[in-house]
This record gives sequence, C-alpha cells and structure tokens, in this order.
Amino acid sequence: MADTQRHPRVSALVRDSAGILLIIAIALAALVILAFLLSKTPGKTLWYFFFGPLQNTYYFGNMLNSAIPLIFGGLGVSLAMRSDNFNLGGEGQIYSGAFTATICAIQLAPLGIPGAVLALLAGALVAGFLGGLSGYFRMKWDTSELITSFLISNGVVLMVNYLIAGPFMDTSTNLIATQKIPEAFHLPLILPPSNLSSALFLAVVAVFCVHFYLFKTKMGYELRMSGLNRQFARYGGIDTKLYMVLPMFLSGALYGLGGGIAIYGTYFSCMKEFSTGMGWNGLAVALIAKFKPSAVIPAALFFAYIEAGSRNAMLHSDVTFEIASIVQSVVFFLVTSEVLQRVFGKKGDR
Amino acid sequence: MAYPIPILHSAVNIMTPLLLASMGGLFTELSGMLNIALEGLLLMGAFCGVVFTYYTGSMVLGVLLGILCTMLLSAVLATVTVNLKSNVFITGLAVNLLVSGLTVVLCFELFANKGVVVFDGMPALPVLDIPVLANIPVIGDMLSGHPAFIYLSWLLLAVCHGVLYKTPFGFRLRATGLHPTALASLGIDPNRYRFIAFLISGFTCGLGGAMLTLNLGAFVPNITAGKGWIALVVIFLGNKKPLGLLVAALVFALADAFSNYAQGALNIPADFILALPYVFTLLVMIGFSIYAKKKDSIQS
Repeated sequence: MADTQRHPRVSALVRDSAGILLIIAIALAALVILAFLLSKTPGKTLWYFFFGPLQNTYYFGNMLNSAIPLIFGGLGVSLAMRSDNFNLGGEGQIYSGAFTATICAIQLAPLGIPGAVLALLAGALVAGFLGGLSGYFRMKWDTSELITSFLISNGVVLMVNYLIAGPFMDTSTNLIATQKIPEAFHLPLILPPSNLSSALFLAVVAVFCVHFYLFKTKMGYELRMSGLNRQFARYGGIDTKLYMVLPMFLSGALYGLGGGIAIYGTYFSCMKEFSTGMGWNGLAVALIAKFKPSAVIPAALFFAYIEAGSRNAMLHSDVTFEIASIVQSVVFFLVTSEVLQRVFGKKGDR
Repeated sequence: MAYPIPILHSAVNIMTPLLLASMGGLFTELSGMLNIALEGLLLMGAFCGVVFTYYTGSMVLGVLLGILCTMLLSAVLATVTVNLKSNVFITGLAVNLLVSGLTVVLCFELFANKGVVVFDGMPALPVLDIPVLANIPVIGDMLSGHPAFIYLSWLLLAVCHGVLYKTPFGFRLRATGLHPTALASLGIDPNRYRFIAFLISGFTCGLGGAMLTLNLGAFVPNITAGKGWIALVVIFLGNKKPLGLLVAALVFALADAFSNYAQGALNIPADFILALPYVFTLLVMIGFSIYAKKKDSIQS
C-alpha cells in the first residue's frame, strides 16, 4: 500500500467511492430480488431496466435530460448541508420556482432574452425566499428548519396546484397546466429526437459555480466553517447567524432555478405536479455525492438511470414505476452508514 | 349552535392516530433520536392493517398482523440506524420513501391498481357507548360513542406514562437521551434502549395507521397526509410528556375537524383545505418556539 500512502487524496477518493459502490451494488441487488418476486418475466424486466435507457438516442437523451433538475437539486441540498442546515423543502421550492418562472416568462415575453433571464431569476428568488424563511425561523427562534422547510413545502405545493388548476389554467388545452412560455425562450435541443436540451450546459456551469463558491471564496469558507462547528466559527469572528439563512436561501434558489430551467428546456408550461419527486431525488443525489458539488453529476446520472430504467421496465414489462422509489430508499437507508463506509477503511486510517 | 358538538366528536376521532403516532415518537425522542419515519410507519400500518383484514377476514387479526409488519419495518430502521450507525434523518426519509413506493407496488401486485384498497364486507369498527359518560351533556357527546380503538389509545397513554416515569426501563430510556455515556458507564447499552424505542414507535404507528384506514373503510394513497410529521410537532408542543401529547394532539385534531367542517359549509377550494394542516402546524410550531425562546431568556 506504499503507493496509496504517497497519495492520501487518491486513496481517500478510492475508499469513499468504494463505500458508495458497495451501497449501489446492494441497491441493485435489491432490484434484482424485486424483479424476481414481482414480475412474471424477471429476465425481460431486468433487461429493460438495465439496458432500456441505453438502447437508443431517444431514451439515452431523455435520461440525461431528467438528470438536469437533479443536478440543481443536489447542488442546493449540498450547499445547505455544508452549512449544517437541512433543507427538506425541495419539492415545494422546485415547483414554485418553475411556476413563477413560467408566469413571469409569459408576462415578460416582449423583453426578449433579458425577460427570459429575469423570469428565471424571479423563480429562483421565490424558491430561495421559501428556503430562507426556514433559515430565518431557525436563526430567530431555534425552530427546526428540517420540519419547517417540509411543512412550508407541502403547503406551497398545494397552493401552486390551486393556482395552476384555478386562476392560471390554460383553458385551451385538456391538460391541467398554465399557458406555454414564448417559443423564443425555449432552450435548443442538442440530441434529437430526445428531449435533451442545452440546459445540460447550464447545469454543468452551476456545478462549477457552486464548487467555486464553496471552496475558493471567503464566504464559502465561512459557510463550511459554520457547518463544521458553529461555536468555533463564531469564536473566529464569523457571522454564524448569516450562515443559517443564506445557505437555506441559496439552496432554495438552486432548486427554483432547476425548476425554471426544466420548464425552459423540457416542459414549456407548468403542468400540475410535473415536478413531484424531483425534490426528494435532489436530496438523494446530494447524499450519494456526499455534498461534494463535483460528485453531484455522477450521482444525478445514477438516479436518472434508475428512474429511466424503471420507466422502461414499466413500459415493456409487468412492473410499476414505483419500484424506482424502493431502490432509492435502499440507497437512503445505507448511504450514511458509518459501518458500511468503514468496510473499506483499512486500519491506520484516521 | 348545533355545530360544535359534531366537530368536537370528530376531533376526538381524528386525534387518535395522531396521539398514537406521537406516543411512539415520544419514546424515540426521549432516547435521543428525532424519528422522521413516523409518517412512513403510519402509512405502513394503514396499508397492512387493511390488507391483512382482507385476507384473514378478521379485523382484530388484520390489525395485529399490520402492527407486526410495522414493527418489522421499524426493526429494520433501528438496525440500520443504531447498529449500522447511520444518520437517523436519512434513514427516516428512507422509510417514508420506501413505504410510499412499496404500498403502490404491492397494490399493483395484489389488487391490480395503483394504491387503492377497498373491498365489500369490510368490517365496520364496533362503536362503544360508555354507560355513565354518555349521559353527561356535551362531554358525553364528545367522548362517548367512539370505536373501541380510541379508548384503547387512552389506556395506552396511561401505560406510556407509567412505563416512562415509574419503571427502571423508563428511567434508562430517558437517560439514553440525556446522557448515553453515563448509562454506558453503568454497563447498560444505550443502543438497546434506542432499538426498543423504535420498536415501540412501530407498534403505536401500526395501530394508529390501522385506525386511519378502518375509520375510512379504505386505503387510499397518501392517507396519512402528513400526520406523522404533525405527530413530531405534537411531541415538541406536548413538552415531551404523555399528558402534553394529549393536549397538543387535541388542538391539532380540533383544527382538522374544523377545516373538514369548513370545507362542507363554506365554499373553500379543496387545495386550501388540504394545505391548512401544514400551515396551522407551521404557525403553532413557530409560536411555540418563540414562547420557548422567551422563557429561556427569562430564566437565564
């Protein structure tokens, strides 16, 4: 092991990913067992699950596309977690961000591209406000941000449902959805015939931005210090109260941005409950990535793959889509386990 | 004013699953674990209770088997959290996610639909009239004529109080949350108490969940509608004491009963009514934390 001793960072990376790979392997094993229990044709189900998303450009592009909101969500959660804040409000934040962006985009159509950017920012702002609210309650009165963010999110999802099905419903279609955003605002498709749009590049840019913010700026350093040890950070002169609210705001804003970009790139109008599950998946992605922005992309791809596989298996075989959430929950169960992580940590590691 | 009495009566009914879930949550809370999985455990109890009632044809047997399944799930949760040393929030979320998926998958397998279980000949909950109590005006109307489960939950609350405050087990459980190392130095394994606390929350949530479905006469997706989360807030508001739980749960149940009434009487959009429990819980929680903070600053 002389080689790894000379490169502690490399060995740490190998060890970390070994733990994650073990967990992913267990989750996939659970899937195989499920297929044999639930399906009359388990071989066919598993084939479509594992290879369906890869069989042609259409499915592959759609899989990549569904990873995009997960990247934004994963970044949002990572940012909050780094500052020791739990943001469980992703569902409401992504939905309200998408809704606000859609409505603003329709109103700001005459402004052209600046209008599109403004509308996206408005969505991010609303979602950020919802997240920041939980942070504010915690800072002010020690209210658990974990529970308030969840409660706010659930309330907001229902409110947006009401707005979409009520005052903002587009009566010219049979869908429960808002009007479509102007065509000039659509993000260009990059892998036809699939839905994959240039939003992918925006997601990669966002990863770089969050990485830079967290690890290369003073504020990012202060944020992480507040997360590691709040008392110590305060003693060192860091305004720890700021880092209860700001990370929650940014976390919500990233979720909201993800929602808005999903509208611009894929959906074009805010359909009722189009984003259900994206918030939780963003959290799962952040957990697998261990709150490292650079690891969010592979983690999001893994999750998108699981979802695409389930959808494919549902289309071509006799299982239902919800098997995806069972596989996801297995990942949730094991991902923070210290014991499993340590399986690969050899003696001598601190 | 004829409205208040039916509202009070249904509030007592609505309160019970909440009370049961928060009772189980109290044990995990006192052992030092914030148990987010209450929601998932309730849903598990709700689903298994009705499914086993269908297959066994007996409600009592169905509920007992449902409780058993929920306890099994909480045992898995406890094993992963306590023995494999995982983050309790994340494993709690895992339970919630697992159950919401599992119920749909099982519904699809067993009943070929996506999450509704309803069948003919579903036994109705037997209703008990309490002889003397029923004759007292208002209080009798409020407290009598409920399914037997409800009275069972009050009995359990008394047992819960007794166990926590009058038995060595209760002392040790509470010590687990306050100072696990002190307990360990006495040669007692705190993890054992955490494990048992999870099992207890599985038991009460199994019962509470079964009450939800049997009351409605069907299992529908998301039947718990955030009750597990509200139960967490009930624990805080109830000051982590059994009697406090009763008061806090009643407050939430009254709000819920009132909003049910408002839905019928006033023409409020359904989404608003559905959102009301969350908004109300949020407001109460913030109000309580302001109060707690003020009290703290006065004492110090």
